[in-house]
Amino acid sequence: MAQEEGQATLSEIPCQEIAQWVSAYLDEHVGDERKRQIAVHLAICVGCETYVKQIATVRDVVGLLPKTVEESPDSHRLRRAFVARARPSPSGG
Amino acid sequence: MNSDAVTVTESLSHRMVVGRKPEPSQSAAVLKEDVALLIRLRQGDERAFDELVARHHSALIRMAMGYVADREVAEEVVQDTWMAVIEGFARFEGRSSLRTWIFGIMIHKAKDRGVREKRHTTFSAFESIDDDGDETVDPSRFHQSGEWAGHWAFPPQPWDEQTPETLLASQQAVNVMNLAIKALPPTLQDVLILRDVEGVDSKEVCEILKITGTNLYVRLHRARERVRQTVEIYLEGRQCAV
Ligand SMILES: [Zn+2]
Repeated sequence: MAQEEGQATLSEIPCQEIAQWVSAYLDEHVGDERKRQIAVHLAICVGCETYVKQIATVRDVVGLLPKTVEESPDSHRLRRAFVARARPSPSGG
Repeated sequence: MNSDAVTVTESLSHRMVVGRKPEPSQSAAVLKEDVALLIRLRQGDERAFDELVARHHSALIRMAMGYVADREVAEEVVQDTWMAVIEGFARFEGRSSLRTWIFGIMIHKAKDRGVREKRHTTFSAFESIDDDGDETVDPSRFHQSGEWAGHWAFPPQPWDEQTPETLLASQQAVNVMNLAIKALPPTLQDVLILRDVEGVDSKEVCEILKITGTNLYVRLHRARERVRQTVEIYLEGRQCAV
């Protein structure tokens, strides 16, 4: 399961460290130098490249999960409270 | 009635331009949307209130459930939150977005309830995110020593044809992911729900949760990694079963 020889030696940072930054990297929340280091690593490391793709898939899929409809059982109470509170009182003029 | 609306616009836009000109940033756009909604709320527009509830209710419930013992209590917390919003929006001054304000109220109420209800169990998890060490990815997947130390020993296997769409097409995969999210500790669940489910930008997530950007990404990545692991295990299991 070990990676091909030569891959790792070219990289400045071990995969374990790269893996911690993946979410920040995907959101462009890393500095320029770190971004460069990660990009260099990803270009030569299939394992990390796959990992980044999977985290991106997770990020995207989580946002697309069907939302359960959360109907509030007390929506009538809320509405009444809202109407009572918010409707401008018919104060005389 | 219209004079009311004008007052709201004036007071809110006044706040925006105090000091220097506001930058045309994303948050300004969001605030503009808030202003429009607030005007309608203050006019007593019920549909505006329904919209507001529909927009945030499910995320509020999901987040509240991370803090309190059960669904029923979470619903009470969110109900109380909406009552506080109803009481408070007349005085809301737009120092933050409406969403930041509403979620802030909920978190405050939920923590309060959580402390009273299950202080003997997992409350410490609210404040500490380091309860499971620094590692995000299972360390045993990397070489522990030698020339390859820190490099993948068991790299993730490509999810060949799996795209978000194909995963969503499988009810089983959806269930597995929902369970994984539900199982996250509140500190991780909060960031995942706000950032990835609700699509709140990272700056606002930090404001809502009162955390730093660094902290946000540590938590967000842990949350995503746990969901990723679940999907990985699900896909491997499926492969074996075929
Ligand atoms: Zn790597």
